[in-house]
This record gives sequence, C-alpha cells and structure tokens, in this order.
Amino acid sequence: MQMILSKMNFSSWLKKLNSYRIFAPVKSGEVWSYELVEKPENIILDYPNTIIPPKKVLFPQREVLLEFESSSEQEIKLKEVIPEETPSVIFGIRSCDASGLAKLEKIFKGGFEDLYFSKRKNQTILVGLACNIPPSPDCFCTSVGGSPYSKDGLDILMTDMGDEYYVESVTEEGEKLIESAIGLFNDPEENVKKELEKIHLESEKKIKRYIKDIDKISSKLPEIFETEFWDKESLSCILCGICTYSCPVCHCFDINDEVICTFPLKGKRVRTWDNCQFPDFTMHSSGHNPRPDKASRLRQRIMHKFNYFNENCMELLCTGCGRCISKCPVGIDIVEVLEKVRVYEK
Amino acid sequence: MKNEYIPKLARIVSIKEEVDGQRAIKTFRTQFVNKEDFSFKCGQSAMLSVLGKGESMISVSSSPLINDYLQFSILKSGRVTTALHEMEPGDVIGIRGPYGNGFPIEDWKGKNLIFIGGGIGLAPLWSIVQTAITKKEEYKDLLLIYGSRTSKDLVYKEELEELKKKMTIHLSVDNKEPDWKEFVGFVPNNVMDKKPLPENAIAVTCGPPVMIKFVIKALNDLGFKDDQIYTTVENKMKCGIGKCGRCNIGSHYICKNGPVYSWAVLKTLPQEY
Ligand SMILES: Cc1cc2nc3c(=O)[nH]c(=O)nc-3n(C[C@H](O)[C@H](O)[C@H](O)COP(=O)(O)OP(=O)(O)OC[C@H]3O[C@@H](n4cnc5c(N)ncnc54)[C@H](O)[C@@H]3O)c2cc1C
Ligand code: SF4
Ligand code: FES
Repeated sequence: MQMILSKMNFSSWLKKLNSYRIFAPVKSGEVWSYELVEKPENIILDYPNTIIPPKKVLFPQREVLLEFESSSEQEIKLKEVIPEETPSVIFGIRSCDASGLAKLEKIFKGGFEDLYFSKRKNQTILVGLACNIPPSPDCFCTSVGGSPYSKDGLDILMTDMGDEYYVESVTEEGEKLIESAIGLFNDPEENVKKELEKIHLESEKKIKRYIKDIDKISSKLPEIFETEFWDKESLSCILCGICTYSCPVCHCFDINDEVICTFPLKGKRVRTWDNCQFPDFTMHSSGHNPRPDKASRLRQRIMHKFNYFNENCMELLCTGCGRCISKCPVGIDIVEVLEKVRVYEK
Repeated sequence: MKNEYIPKLARIVSIKEEVDGQRAIKTFRTQFVNKEDFSFKCGQSAMLSVLGKGESMISVSSSPLINDYLQFSILKSGRVTTALHEMEPGDVIGIRGPYGNGFPIEDWKGKNLIFIGGGIGLAPLWSIVQTAITKKEEYKDLLLIYGSRTSKDLVYKEELEELKKKMTIHLSVDNKEPDWKEFVGFVPNNVMDKKPLPENAIAVTCGPPVMIKFVIKALNDLGFKDDQIYTTVENKMKCGIGKCGRCNIGSHYICKNGPVYSWAVLKTLPQEY
C-alpha cells in the first residue's frame, strides 16, 4: 500500500493510534533517543541519528528476568517476569536500525527462543523514515547491504517529500496501521512516485563513507587472524565499550542476581547489556582469559560482524549506522580498519 | 512456549566430599522438587542456580540411564561454586538445561573406548563411563586413564576401586607419594606408557587445557587420527543458549555447538579457549 500523508495530518494519525504505546526520537539535552512519547502530537520527525539505536525498546539495557524469594534454604519461590503484551509502535526508525532489529530477531528467536525479546517484538510495529540526507557523516549502510531507504525489518517506510510524507506499507501490520486512519491519506500521483524514486537515488549518493570489496574482506579476515595487525589497530582502545552499546546489532549480555534483602532472601535475576571489549567478558573463574588483550577483543568485534555471523547466517552483523565511529573517543574507525584489512599484506 | 531462563527447582539429596583443601571438589545428587522432564545425553551440561549468587554451567556426571537423580561434581572456584559448597542436603537450587551437543556415543557402538581424564575433567567422562559399563555389550574394550596432581585430588576414589573389577583403569599422580603403586607422572606420559591401540578405537579426553593439548599429541603419536579423538572445551558462560555472545570460538558457540568436539573439527577453530 502506497499513500500520501500531509505533514499537517501526521499528528492526527498519531492521535488515532491511541491504543498503542508510541515510541519516537525525543531530544533531551544535546542528544536524541527513542523514548515513550506521552503526547504524540509533539513528535517531530526531523532529527540526526539517535545516540542509542531503537534496539533498547525491544532489548532494554537492564531487564528483570525473574524474581526470587526464600525464607529458608529449603524453600524457594521463583516468579517469572515477562514483558506485558502492550501493542506499541516505534516511529522514525532509520533503515540501518530497522535492519539491525531484523538481525536481532534472527538471533533472539533462532534456536532457543528468547521470550523477553520476542514478546516485545511480536507486538511492536516498526515505522521507518528514509534518510534523505545521511543523519551522520559516518553512515556507510550502502557498503553492508543496506540503503538509506531500505525496507528491511520495517512494517512501514515513510519518506519526507517536503510538505508531505510518502507512506509505504511493507507488511500486513503496517497496512492495518494506515487503514486505521485511512481518511487522512491520499493516493499518490504518478509524478510523486517519480519524485520519490529521485529522492531515494539522490540520498544514496550523499553517503560519504564506503567500504570497497566487503565480500573479499569478509573472507580474508581468517587469514590475518594470527597477525600483529590487531595489536596495532587496537592500541589506542581505552575499553570504554561505547562502540558496542551504541551498536544496533550488538546483543551480548550479562546475567546477574541482585539481592534486595538477605534474610529472608529476596532479589531479582537481571540481564544487562555486556560488552566484548571488556577484559572480564570472557575471563574464566580461574583467571584464564581466552581473549586476554585488546588485540584479541577488537579482532572478535570485527570477526563477529564480518565473518562469523556471515558464516552462520549468510549476512553481515553490521548495518552501517556509523555510531561506533562517531562515538569512539580514540577514533577507532571500523571503515578504516576494514580498508586496512583489505590492503594488508603479511 | 518455554522460557529458557527460568530454572526448575531441585533439592540436593546428597553431598559427597571428593577432595578437600584449596581446590575442593564435592559431588552433589539432586532431585527435582516437581516432576520435570530432563532427558539428556552424555556430555551435556546444566546451568545450576544458587538464587542470590548466580548461575554456573556444570556437566551432568551421572548416566542418562539413571532416572532418579542428577549428579554434578563441582570444583570450588568463585561465587556460585563456593555457595554450592556451603550448601547442605535438603537445600534447594535451580537447574535449567540440558545444554550443549553431548558425545556422539551412538556412533561409537562396536568400538574400543579410551577415556583419558585429569582432575575434575573426569566428571563429564563419568557419565559416558557409567553408560558404557551399563551397556557393555554395545562396546568393545573400555579403558580409563586418569590422573591428578596428588592422590588426594582424584575424584570418585571408591567408585574407581569398584570399577576396576569391570574395566581396565590406569591411575597416575604427578609426583612420587609413599604408598602410590601406580604410574607417577603427567597424564599424557601415562598414555604414552600404556600405549592404547588406535585400531577401531575412540579416545575421549577431558581435563585442564594443557593436559588436553599433550594428550592429543600423545594420541597422534600413537597413531590415532584426529577424528578418533574427542574432547570438551570450556569457556565462560552466562546464557547457555547461544545468545549472550561470550563463549564463542570462531563462529561456534560452545554452549550450543559444543562443548564436545572431535579434534578434527576443533583444530580448525581459533584457539580462543
Ligand atoms: C560446558 C561446561 C561444563 C562445565 N562442567 C563443570 C563441572 O562438571 N564441574 C566443575 O566444577 N566445573 C565445570 N565447569 C566450569 C564451571 O562452570 C565454572 O568453574 C563456574 O561457572 C565458576 O563459577 P563461579 O561463580 O564459582 O566463579 P566466578 O569467578 O565467580 O564466576 C562468575 C560467573 O562467570 C561464569 N564463569 C566463570 N568461569 C567460568 C567457566 N570456567 N566456565 C563457565 N562459566 C564460567 C559463571 O556464570 C559464573 O557464575 C564447566 C564449564 C563449562 C563451560
Ligand atoms: S568505542 Fe573505541 S575506545 Fe571504546 S571500546 Fe570501542 S574501540 Fe575501544
Ligand atoms: S553462554 Fe551465552 S552464548 Fe554461549
């Protein structure tokens, strides 16, 4: 379904969606982030890239898995804490972040299903906004199989056409969301469709960063596994971890028990985002660490994204959002690292 | 739909002190509080919970043929395993699983099986040893080569004496001890000394990484091909189900694709274990 929505009608559409929780990019201080929006009419779809991708809505940074209670060692009560089924819509998702959510879905639903993720995902409708201008100077989605107007992972894709939005449904859920306020939408004229195509093609040309021969790099990575390349590239890393926290597909987590009261015992089992760049991520209880240095940890980050995941799922675990480049305090630049892999000679 | 993160409650029915001191090992038998289906394969593990402390992945050391309890032998190490060591019979823990691939023992029928263990590494082997002894007619000769630093560090001491009546067992300790009549030296040296034959045989080895490395070398020297040698790999684990991202070696998640590997496969993976 392809429709036109006048910008003046956008907030009326949102008002019609009052049975959903609505998330959208919200500015707080200097940064934008996806938040639950109380007054949907305040949503403005005009923002640079958010600091944290929308993965945080479906896979929160901290979430309780279960609660426990016990008055003696012989008696324990467990309570599963599972996300409530509240239908939600996330507005203003960039195409890179949407394809990131599609990749997370493969990871969390494949094999043993992760109910915490899938319960949220199953009731969340994803509405994207094409990037007419790249939201970050570090965007490189077109190098990793994406595009600024890709529909991968989305239910609806919106494109800003000046005074109006071009609204395309991708899935049945998306179609229903449009139909629920169909009176607000118009059919697009032929010339508008042409205009849309032009905007999309132009947007692709505005992306400044590019990785050459990504497939070759993918298959070359194992060849340079055991080289000093990684020592050199990781030298400046200060282990802050922002590269993976801000990544739309990084999904590593830790599980820990938080005790609220020791007697009677009361507490929660909590999962939190974790980070492969931290030394204790892989450290055994004995002190032995299979990835003991910065070199092996940067190598893991790059290998996982561009080789291991490709081997397991036939796609890259990177969407080209550029956040890890913009945010790294010491300038470790994934596009540059990959270019150096490409030209590296042992 | 099953929520994989929620453990089932189980009661500790017995605790046996195997080794005391710095590197204490205890063997726990548990029974589920409610009736639960926990069918597993030899070599699979379970995530044990001490509520308030956390979870640890532990190999099931009893045989899948035993239905009335699960057995775990646990080395006291950090937070969770220390808490387990402080528990008493009657106390309740959480168990989820079973996880991992397990040993392909169905493919080993009609073969000679050689088990080579070091220290706590006998725990995952114990499950197959018990199974193979019970179904002795399905396999040919069974041989166990097992050692630890001192005779005090050997696990299942009494059970091993009993088992000697049913199969060949060669024990070892690293250094001379007054009353020790068996082999003195490292486990790989004992393997070279006993020279098991590779014909129609599978060798399974578990133990500390250095031991495994030299056992594999010894087996290769004795003519064992890489696909006749099996071992288990250990890495830090949290989820146990291939999601939390920390236990991988290359594209393999040990919790899911492992922990059991033939050396033919393991040698092709990065050495990140
Ligand atoms: C497949 C598999 C089978 C195992 N079987 C046995 C066994 O039969 N007997 C035994 O004594 N030990 C076994 N281990 C090792 C055991 O899991 C760790 O010694 C234990 O988790 C340490 O936990 P801790 O809380 O005492 O230590 P801490 O240092 O406090 O560790 C904190 C947490 O990190 C994780 N962790 C730390 N070290 C390891 C590790 N080496 N492996 C896995 N997770 C770790 C656990 O979640 C642990 O709770 C096995 C490990 C694996 C991977
Ligand atoms: S953002 Fe940069 S400094 Fe921080 S962990 Fe990642 S690579 Fe290291
Ligand atoms: S333990 Fe979480 S991925 Fe293996």
